[in-house]
Amino acid sequence: MNELSLLYNYLLVGGLLFVIGLIGFLVRRNMIVMFLCAEMMLQGVSVSLIGFGRYHGGLPGSESSDAWGGAWGGQMLVIFIIAVAACEAAIAMALILMLSRRAGKLDAAVWQDLREPGQPPFIDQQVPEERTEDRVWPTLTPAGIRPKPDRDELLHRPRI
Amino acid sequence: MNDRIAYCLVLIPALPLLSAVVVAVLGLKLLKKFSHLPVILALAGSCVCSLVLLSEVSREQSRTLEGQQDGFEQVVTLWTWANIPAAYDLPAAAGPALPSGAYETGPLSFRVEIALRADALTAMMLGMVTFVATLVALFAAGYMEGDRGYWRFFAYIGLFVFSMTMLVSVSNFLLLFVFWEAVGVCSYLLVGFWYEKPVAAAAGKKAFLVNRVGDFAFTLAIFLIWCTYGTLNYHDTLADGSTDPERISQLAGLPQLAEARSDLKIVPGVLSPSRIVANDYVTGGVATAICLLLLLGACGKSAQFPLHVWLPDAMEGPTPVSALIHAATMVTAGVYMIARCTPLFTASPTAQLVVAIVGGFTALLAGLIALTQFDLKRILAYSTISQLGFMFLALGAGTILGITGGMFHLFTHAFFKALLFLGAGSVMHAMGGAIDMRHFGGLRRLMPYTHATFLVGCLALSGVFPLAGFWSKDAVLASVHDKIHAVEHEIEHRHAEHDAHPAAEAEAPQGALAGWTDSQLATSRTVYWLLYYSALVSAFLTALYTFRAYCLTFCGEERIPQQAAHHAHESPGLMIAPLVVLAVCSALVGILCIGQWNNWGTNRFADFLQGAPSLAAGAITATKVAPEFHLQIAGVSTIVALAGIALAMYLFLGERSEARFLQRTFDLSGIDRLTDPRWVGELEQVWWIGGPVRFLRRVHLGPLATAAGYLLGAVSLVLAVPLLAGQFVSPYKLSQNKFYFDELYGAFVVWPLRIFAAILYWFDRWVIDGLVNLTGMIPLAAGSLMRSLQMGLVQFYALAMVLGTLILVAARLIWAAG
Repeated sequence: MNELSLLYNYLLVGGLLFVIGLIGFLVRRNMIVMFLCAEMMLQGVSVSLIGFGRYHGGLPGSESSDAWGGAWGGQMLVIFIIAVAACEAAIAMALILMLSRRAGKLDAAVWQDLREPGQPPFIDQQVPEERTEDRVWPTLTPAGIRPKPDRDELLHRPRI
Repeated sequence: MNDRIAYCLVLIPALPLLSAVVVAVLGLKLLKKFSHLPVILALAGSCVCSLVLLSEVSREQSRTLEGQQDGFEQVVTLWTWANIPAAYDLPAAAGPALPSGAYETGPLSFRVEIALRADALTAMMLGMVTFVATLVALFAAGYMEGDRGYWRFFAYIGLFVFSMTMLVSVSNFLLLFVFWEAVGVCSYLLVGFWYEKPVAAAAGKKAFLVNRVGDFAFTLAIFLIWCTYGTLNYHDTLADGSTDPERISQLAGLPQLAEARSDLKIVPGVLSPSRIVANDYVTGGVATAICLLLLLGACGKSAQFPLHVWLPDAMEGPTPVSALIHAATMVTAGVYMIARCTPLFTASPTAQLVVAIVGGFTALLAGLIALTQFDLKRILAYSTISQLGFMFLALGAGTILGITGGMFHLFTHAFFKALLFLGAGSVMHAMGGAIDMRHFGGLRRLMPYTHATFLVGCLALSGVFPLAGFWSKDAVLASVHDKIHAVEHEIEHRHAEHDAHPAAEAEAPQGALAGWTDSQLATSRTVYWLLYYSALVSAFLTALYTFRAYCLTFCGEERIPQQAAHHAHESPGLMIAPLVVLAVCSALVGILCIGQWNNWGTNRFADFLQGAPSLAAGAITATKVAPEFHLQIAGVSTIVALAGIALAMYLFLGERSEARFLQRTFDLSGIDRLTDPRWVGELEQVWWIGGPVRFLRRVHLGPLATAAGYLLGAVSLVLAVPLLAGQFVSPYKLSQNKFYFDELYGAFVVWPLRIFAAILYWFDRWVIDGLVNLTGMIPLAAGSLMRSLQMGLVQFYALAMVLGTLILVAARLIWAAG
């Protein structure tokens, strides 16, 4: 197995990871899943970087090793990426937590009212109704004036 | 150098300015109803300084006049305002050149020093301005009492007196223009003092805008003077800006020293004694252009035809303002300026003739308008315009006698016109603000002091012996008469010379009229004769309208308008005192100026004024004549004045049925009856028509009479349009509507400009703004296209990113392949 075919395999795996992540990011609305998909794309990039690093950097002592940090150049970047991804994960989890607390669910479409004014809302069609009756949530006795229903809210599932 | 003159010169404008600043800063919160105190004190101080200055100048003049013949002037330079070295290279001198060597010929620097001057002209104007201003301020302290803008009023008055005193004492055309504008601003502020009144605000605006026309001409004149003479200073300066007269006279005597050192060159001033003595003035077209532009500037400020329309409207301001600014002081600035520029005007006989024509015509026009007005203040305003016309007429005579006569009329007019205005103010004060003479009358018992002083003012204005107006109006008429005499003498002289030496015409004739051609002489003789007679008519009209106003206001049965029904009263002592002082001055100031009792033609005022450099030397001195009292002129003018008074008394005392008859006649009333053909039918009732008609019917020629009747009816129908138009522009209506000048200007100046402005507004609103808005629309349209992408779903944003990246990658691949 020569260097080029080795790189090819790396890139194949990296590309697969990236595309799977991308498709997952595009089609899923669960924020945690979206986040995981983003991480997967990141890892795809990391794998390609390692492959390129191995391919371009050569072995230690070779001609181009000094200029590109040797075979470790790509891996060093990946370590940085992992560190940054860890920080990002912390922030993302905190955000997701706050958002799910506010909305009661993890659906990203709940936040589509952050769109430009005047744009029509995106409405789910042919989605089976969520069965709420068999869930038992603690409830408070209603008190005070009934708030006016929000149009955007009504389009989606009821909150807690 | 006389230190006392220098101190006075600085103090006279400084005190009013200081008081204006004090009142403006402290008036609203601290001084309140005592706001008049600083201003009155400052004005009184200025007045005292002016009197000191007057006596000092008079003493210096009598001291220097023995030695030299070019008049007395003292220039006090305070600081340099602007200095641009080597700003202008003067073309070769046009007139008889100054002695070279000592004088600057190379590139001239543009220097403007804040320089004040003292000479006879300035001293006289300063004395008059500060004296009248002090009295008017005293009067205003009573008149304006309780007004919401009390402090504002006195701050403006202080500012005005500062500007006016500076105007007459600066020694530079540029500074003259600055303060010319400053008095205009003060006038604007004071005319529109009651700015809540739309009429007053409009009047202020009108005054300002009409003055702009004159000021534009004035600036052009200043540019021309700069281009012609290379300096704007009246006085000589050294190249380093020094005005020390001793150094200058020393250097003038040492041309070789000055030639060696360029910083010791002398820059000759436009109106400096050295230039006047050398008569170094351009003649011909340039001189005429300068003078006519200056004249138009003076016409704006002094309300002469065709720019006279602002002054009557300016009467919307408080009455003391009308007395001070629009009668006694500011409006005489034009007269002062022309008198100051006498050497320039002497160089252009055409311009002098135009000055005289403008003056004479304005005097007549304003007199005719004043005849039919019912607003007491407006009558006085038109009277002011008319009297200013007299002054211009005298200045236009262009002789020593004319210029001193014009200034003398300015001087006396200030007293009696201020008196009349303050009297009108007193009446207004008592009548609760009413000024229309149809609403009140017969006030002589109610307001005895106002009545007596007003009567003195009226007599002085009419020119009744021995009050001030008599002497000054006589001087004006005599100057025009003398001018005619001089012109006729010159014509006769030339004829005689031509007969004696037909060939020797090249021989240079002597005298002031030497440069004139024969046709010029003939024209000016005709014009001056016409002006002389029109001046006599104007004098008659003056007496007539003055006493019409007097009779309508003070004579007849007592009538008081409703708004003053319960508190009509004589004005308080504070307002009466200035009236009395001014009345005494109006009565005595003329007779006190007679130089020698055995010769009434001598005038100490004129002698004093001749000490000013503008009048003391140069071409103007050739017009000097021995002082002589013209009994026939005085007699004619007195008869004319008395006739006017008598006519006014006859018409407006008692029944006034003759006055109404005259009004109807001049109004052509009844003429509209002729435009209705039915009057033909009524003719039969007239016996000398009805008889013959009946006779015709009896001899069966009735149809003939009927045909004649129809013919008459048809004629009257045809004539209906001109007859009705004739009624519209009847002499009475013309006069009452001020010869429709406002309407004419409205139709030919104001409305075209408004339409032009509307077009420009439309262009700006829709074309310029449209382009700007279009530029704004582009991002707006682009934004509305892209906005649909921002639909709130994260997935779509991600998809857009992916697609965008794909497009970029595809482009890169295609580019790499191709």
